[in-house]
Amino acid sequence: MSDFNYWKPENLLDAVSLLANMEDQARPLAGGTDLLVKMKKGPINWKGIVNLKGLTELKGINYEGETITIGALTQISSLIENPLVSIHFPVLVDAARSLGTPQVRNLATIGGNLCNASPAADVALVLLMYEARLLIMGPSGSRKVPVQEFYVGPGQTVLQQGEILTTVEIDLPPLNSKGVFYKHGKRKSHEIALVNVAVLLTSQPETKQITRARIAVGSVASTQLRIKDAEDSLTDSLATLSAFEKAAKLAKEAVNPIDDVRSTASYRKQMVGILTRRALQEAWGGEL
Amino acid sequence: MKIPMSLQVNGEMYQVNVSIKKTLLDVLREDLALTGTKKGCDSGECGACTVLMDSKPVNSCLILAVDAVGKQISTIEGIGGIMELHPIQEALIAHGAIQCGYCTPGIVMTAKALLDSNPHPTETEVREGIAGNLCRCTGYVKVVEAIMDVSSR
Repeated sequence: MSDFNYWKPENLLDAVSLLANMEDQARPLAGGTDLLVKMKKGPINWKGIVNLKGLTELKGINYEGETITIGALTQISSLIENPLVSIHFPVLVDAARSLGTPQVRNLATIGGNLCNASPAADVALVLLMYEARLLIMGPSGSRKVPVQEFYVGPGQTVLQQGEILTTVEIDLPPLNSKGVFYKHGKRKSHEIALVNVAVLLTSQPETKQITRARIAVGSVASTQLRIKDAEDSLTDSLATLSAFEKAAKLAKEAVNPIDDVRSTASYRKQMVGILTRRALQEAWGGEL
Repeated sequence: MKIPMSLQVNGEMYQVNVSIKKTLLDVLREDLALTGTKKGCDSGECGACTVLMDSKPVNSCLILAVDAVGKQISTIEGIGGIMELHPIQEALIAHGAIQCGYCTPGIVMTAKALLDSNPHPTETEVREGIAGNLCRCTGYVKVVEAIMDVSSR
C-alpha cells in the first residue's frame, strides 16, 4: 500500500472542510471494504484519507412519521437487524442480505454502497426503487438529491469536492404495496450481480387494478436505471400476464449492458426481461 | 507516518507504534505475534483473517489498525487453548472438518459469533453464516455438520 496522509475528524464540518481543502487529493473512508482493497491494489492517485468513522452522528436509523432516515455510516448488517426496516422496507433487507459476506456486511455502509456508484450495487438499487432522497453536506451548505439524480456514470456521482453524503431518507410506500428484489449471479452469496432487479407494485387487490409501479434495474447500463416507460405502462392497468410481459419487454429494450468478464451484453439484456416479468408476478402475488 | 495506539485484544491491552497504513491483520500478525489469524486473499474475499470486533465477525484485512482502537478484538488465540479446546474446535475435529487448516481459525471465529447470537441456527442459517469463509480444500459439509452439532449440545 502506498503512503498516505491521514485525518480522522471528530465532526462533520471538520470532515467537509478537510475534504474541500484537499482538492481531489483525499478520499473519504467509510466502511473501507472497497477503498482499502483499491489502495492495496494500487497505484492510487490520491494522497490522503479522511476517515469518517469518528462521525457517530452519521450512524443510526430513525423513524419519523412517514419517513425513515438512515445515517450514511450505518452498517449494512444494521439494516438487516433493524425491526422497523424489516417491517416497512423488507426489500431493502433482502438486498442487504445479498451484499458481500457477513464479515463485509459488518463493515460496509449504506453510504458507501451509494457513493461507490457501482452499477451492480444491491442496496443502492433498492433505494432507487424506493425513491430515496440523499442529504448531502458540503462547504456551501446542505442539499437534497433524489437517488435517481445522484449518479453520473460508473463510479461517478454528483458529489462535489468537499461534499459528504450524510443521510438517506425513505418515505413509506403507499398501502397495498409489495416489493421484490432479485439478484442474478453464479452463486447465492459473495457475488456481484450479473443483473439485479427491484420492483414495487401498489395495487387494489379487489379490482386487480395496479395504481403505481416502480422498476429499477442494475448491472445493465453505466448507471442503475429506473424504467419509467415500463412503470407508466403498468399504472392504472389491470394485473394481467400480458401487462407484466409488456412492462418486462419495455425494460429489456431500455437497458444497454456491456460484455465483460462476468457476463455478456445479450445474456444480461435477456435476463432483464425475464427477471422483470418474474419480479412483477411475484410482487403481484395473486392469480392472473 | 507511525502513530502510537492501544489495542484491546482477547481482553489484554497492547501498546504499539505502527504505520497508519497497517491493517489490523498485519498488526496482529507482525506486531503482536498473534499469527493464528491467517492472511489469505488480503482483500476481503476469503475470510481467513476473520476476527471479532465488539462480538461481530469482520475481515481484519479491511480494517486499518487505528480503527480498532477502543474496540474489543477477539482472535483465535482467545478461544480455548491446547489443553482445553472450545466446543467448536472439538466439534470440527470430531467431524473431520479440517483439511489443510488454513481457513479454520476464521471459521471458528465466524461460528462463534453465529452461535453466540443464535445458539440454535437452522442449517440454512449456518450455511449463510459461514458464506464468507472460503475453504479451498472444499469441505463445507463437515463444517456445517460440526457447527450444527455444537448448537444441539
